[in-house]
Amino acid sequence: MRFLVVYCHPVPESFGAAVRDTALQTINARGDEARLIDLYAERFDPVMSADERRNYNDGPPTEPDLVSHIEHLKWAEAILFVYPTWWYGLPAMLKGWFDRVWARDVAFTLGEGGRINPLMTHIQKLGIITTCGAPWWLLFLMGQPGRKTIMRGLRPLCAKGCRTMFLAHYLMDVSTAATREAFLEKVRRKVTAF
Amino acid sequence: MNVLVLYAHPVETSYNAELHRLIVERLSAGGHTVDDCDLYAEDFDPRLTREERLIYQQEGDNTESVREYVERLRQAEALVLSFPVWNYGYPAILKGFFDRVFLPGVSFHLVDGKARPMLHNVRKVVAVTTYGGSRLRAWLMGDPPRKIVGRLMRSTVKPGAGYAYLAHYKMNLSTDATRAAFTEKVRRTMDAF
Repeated sequence: MRFLVVYCHPVPESFGAAVRDTALQTINARGDEARLIDLYAERFDPVMSADERRNYNDGPPTEPDLVSHIEHLKWAEAILFVYPTWWYGLPAMLKGWFDRVWARDVAFTLGEGGRINPLMTHIQKLGIITTCGAPWWLLFLMGQPGRKTIMRGLRPLCAKGCRTMFLAHYLMDVSTAATREAFLEKVRRKVTAF
Repeated sequence: MNVLVLYAHPVETSYNAELHRLIVERLSAGGHTVDDCDLYAEDFDPRLTREERLIYQQEGDNTESVREYVERLRQAEALVLSFPVWNYGYPAILKGFFDRVFLPGVSFHLVDGKARPMLHNVRKVVAVTTYGGSRLRAWLMGDPPRKIVGRLMRSTVKPGAGYAYLAHYKMNLSTDATRAAFTEKVRRTMDAF
């Protein structure tokens, strides 16, 4: 299976990087192929420009910096997102990646009466591995905007019955070496079984 | 009131741009002091940087790189968010404003890893937005922007603050009549601000 890992964290030496590496190693250990998109490392621009917005409804985006991203999306059969949860949601960087790459006529077409027809039906698995400062119940209370943007917003554009996985290390600000190591172990276990 | 308007749409001829102009015009006409923050025009970079992440929790130092925006937020007695919903969320440029400017020591304190809201200078929050799809579809998707404004923003600002969430759904199927009706609703809300 072809795994695309979409990684978003500004600090190369962060725990998020350890999560990313653990996920990549586990995919390799499964004998599967992996590709990595490191949004901060490639200085991806998450801001949709005026021209891009003007042309949004006229066909797939033609911006040169999106070409490789669209190609990766077409290649992938499974996607793993690795990111920190900020303000209960996706970092702006990752949100902008959805806005610009999962565009009309790339990820979906719009039919009669505003009907959405999916184009990402080759994607059979969507996984999230994230870290949050807040406790789980607070995320729940706020409606888990980050998780839902992906699992409810993007999943309908993927294969029917697309499998999902959600892993979160909550209360990151009071985490210890032990909780972080236990989380990495969980990442290994869950990604192996995914 | 000092009203900070956070606006996020790249196209000047868009319906969102029209709503934004109306918001600023009606609030000014009503005697409010409007700080019109057009994130695209100001070329705001929504990407929280490595340096910002490393000192995120150091209250005081963490505001250095966004000092001007923090100052504007602190002056605000009301917030108006004017934006389109893209992919069931804020445009990245607005999401990044929260990531980078709503910092510990500005909108909340971190105490033992817990966030204590402190943006109590803001006593009114109004969102004016447009969705491509229907309200039902947004609801099925969990309607993240409505929840973020309605729950998170409201829990961050002064308790009991005024609140309104004005949304035009089904923009992809909108007509002159639906847009005119929504524009009127926005106008009334701003006149009564």
